[in-house]
Amino acid sequence: MSYAATYRLGTRLFWQDRAMLLASVVTPVGLSVGLPVLMRHVTADGVAGATQLSHGMTSILLSLTAFMNVAVALTTRRDQLVLKRLRATVLTDGQILSGQIASTATQTVVVTALCAVAVRLLADVPVPANPLVYAGAVVVGAVVMATLGVAYTVVIPRAELAAATTMPIFLVSGIASGAMGPIREVLPAWVGSVLDLLPTSAVVHALRTGEVALPALNLAVWAVIGVVAIRLWFRWEPRRS
Amino acid sequence: MTAIHVEEVRKRYGDFAAVNGISFEVAEGEIFALLGRNGAGKTTVIELLAGFQQPDGGVCRVLGLDPARDRAAVRRRTGIMLQDAGFFPDLTVAQTVDIWRDFTVAPRPREEALELAGLLPKAGTRVRQLSGGEKRRLDLALALLGRPEVLFLDEPTTGMDPEARRNTWEVIRDLAGQGTTVLLTTHYLDEAQRLATSMAIMDGGEIIASGGMAETLAARSGRVAFRLPPGTAPDDLPLPVTLEGETAVCRAADPDLAAQTLLSWAAERGLRLAGLEVRTATLEDLFLDLSRSAR
Repeated sequence: MSYAATYRLGTRLFWQDRAMLLASVVTPVGLSVGLPVLMRHVTADGVAGATQLSHGMTSILLSLTAFMNVAVALTTRRDQLVLKRLRATVLTDGQILSGQIASTATQTVVVTALCAVAVRLLADVPVPANPLVYAGAVVVGAVVMATLGVAYTVVIPRAELAAATTMPIFLVSGIASGAMGPIREVLPAWVGSVLDLLPTSAVVHALRTGEVALPALNLAVWAVIGVVAIRLWFRWEPRRS
Repeated sequence: MTAIHVEEVRKRYGDFAAVNGISFEVAEGEIFALLGRNGAGKTTVIELLAGFQQPDGGVCRVLGLDPARDRAAVRRRTGIMLQDAGFFPDLTVAQTVDIWRDFTVAPRPREEALELAGLLPKAGTRVRQLSGGEKRRLDLALALLGRPEVLFLDEPTTGMDPEARRNTWEVIRDLAGQGTTVLLTTHYLDEAQRLATSMAIMDGGEIIASGGMAETLAARSGRVAFRLPPGTAPDDLPLPVTLEGETAVCRAADPDLAAQTLLSWAAERGLRLAGLEVRTATLEDLFLDLSRSAR
């Protein structure tokens, strides 16, 4: 009951915050649909390019709709002392955070699915060869990125800085997956190897290749890092100084 | 039955001993007031009893349970009004109550909770538009949602207008009458005096006085104050007084009798005791005396 209640609360607040929706839904959806459609119609080898770009765009969706959204929402609620009040209910700390993570992950999966349908229809991006791996990668990726977003609040000093503090993650994820264009190709090879270790890169790799083992291992490691960081350092109240 | 049991509890933040070995008990259905200046340690005690913090030493029990270890079980049977906790500013009062009902086992109906807190007319108002006192009332409504057996109220009436304060006192008294145990902290001594049946005064993390409200006050002297008539010295008066500026203050177990003695002394000499003030002991006197001697 309590878990469902935090899930419902997270979902309601997700769709109610108009300003946040612009950054965490409208922008990434616009990019994820618009750029592949553009690619499809302006280049000679349109479908292949659009498919490649569309898969890469998943990293943008994960880093904005899951990661940034949850980091900003929880930092704001921490600073508004709402998290403190939530802890005054029967909810356990685990229920409060996991309900939020599940809710954010669900919205991310829904938005990603809509984008996949849109690029299928508008850019002729083919249906994934292995839909199960595709869906699994998106779902697990969304959960892991939402978890890491919760953990990331640890380094965000206060709510006004939350969105700006998550920007580097968004940029690096986008560069790593090629969503920002061919920037990777001009970077040293070792930088590319490091970028491949990102959880968003693992998801994009699974989407492109259908591979399961390595991406699953990568995401499992990131999930553990996220959960351990939350357990050790998550702050329920703003720092008093 | 003891509802709250605190024994030799200590809590430090770094070098600062917020709570330094305090003990007290609150019986079921009792209203207990925890008094003290800012920084005396009152809020820390509430946070320990509510399970937000773990004590560094000593025993905290609420309804026989350890609030830090059995937080969920304690939560189901307690209500908390925190001194500083936020709301979602864009939700209405009714929406806020509905969300919190979702988190509560067997909650009161929304209307009942709002009625209790006197917030029914504000049901459709966004939280960001509420005044400070109205937010305290919403806080109270949320604390009462689960029909708690024990209620922790940290500065419950701060920012309320006089009418809302009176209504809140009424609600607290009613709840206690129905068997709810109430632990409240307050700056308003008249509030503690009107509501509480027993109390403890904290200073510097320690309890410097405690006991039943009536007995504690009865043991204190009352006070008669007046401006010393021109041409008289304190030694001329029939009762010992101390001078506070131009005001002579006489402390006496029975201030009415002392006032009569002083007035007839003055009448015999054709003098007036200007600005005469007769007061039985208040918690405020006690509090000020104690904090003065504790410093």
